Amino acid sequence: MKPWKYVVAGWMTLVIAGGFLIEIPDIPILEQTARNIFFHVPMWMTMFVLFLISFWYSIKYLNEPEIEFDMKASSAATVGVAFGVCGLLTGSLWARFTWGSWWTFAEPKMNLAALALMIYVAYFMLRSAFDDEQKRAKLAAVYNIFAVTTIPFLLYVVPRQLTSLHPGADGNPAFSEITADELRYILYPAFIGFIALGYWIYDVVHRYKKVQFEIDNS
Amino acid sequence: MQEDSLTAVDTLTQAYSDNWSGAPGAEEAGAFIQFMSSNELIYVVLGVSLIIWLVLLFFLFRVDKKVSKLEEQIQSSKDA
Repeated sequence: MKPWKYVVAGWMTLVIAGGFLIEIPDIPILEQTARNIFFHVPMWMTMFVLFLISFWYSIKYLNEPEIEFDMKASSAATVGVAFGVCGLLTGSLWARFTWGSWWTFAEPKMNLAALALMIYVAYFMLRSAFDDEQKRAKLAAVYNIFAVTTIPFLLYVVPRQLTSLHPGADGNPAFSEITADELRYILYPAFIGFIALGYWIYDVVHRYKKVQFEIDNS
Repeated sequence: MQEDSLTAVDTLTQAYSDNWSGAPGAEEAGAFIQFMSSNELIYVVLGVSLIIWLVLLFFLFRVDKKVSKLEEQIQSSKDA
């Protein structure tokens, strides 16, 4: 066990406790659910970082067909999707009690986030369609580069052009204008903590895949 | 079922008032119970969240260590 993992464990425990314990301003409608920002938003940030790691190793694989790069790319994508699913589920629960409905079909960010995850589900389906390792790795890498390029458009560019219930969209003030300073003391450490936690899980998944690969090929 | 409305319908006290005693005598109880009973029981939610987090963390530690062990085994069989 690397020492930084113990730091992440302690750090995240403090973030969770802090998220519940700090005094937050009284915000109408949101009320205590404003604390959800500490947990819901970092899910997406962690997903972005993991998808970027996945993207990076897909490019590396195309540059130099080393099977390890493919394992890293697929591990990062797997953990990224897991965080994305957490983001969708937490968002849906939060929406029920603030926007009034579990799922709003007119809400672009929500729908496009679901679409983004489906694009990644297709990545795993594509992977499962090949028995040949080299072929799978190459096609998956090419597809992954396509997949990651959709993410900024689906989750930032398009939602900001449309009316949205999310902060930061057309007609809504952005995060920086409406978010109370007190929330940031937990929110920013939560970004760091959850991203590090995501990286840790990715590290374990990747090492598991590598061990499995070596056992299969020995 | 309160699918469509957020208005508080008090089904709880009617159904459970005989069985659920809440936290009686919290004022005289120990410091821990007093603390947990304060602020509309939010600390109970914190406790639940921390239990889940710590159990998952324990699990993650264990899996990480198990993978490390397998890595060592593979390395030593390679060296041999």
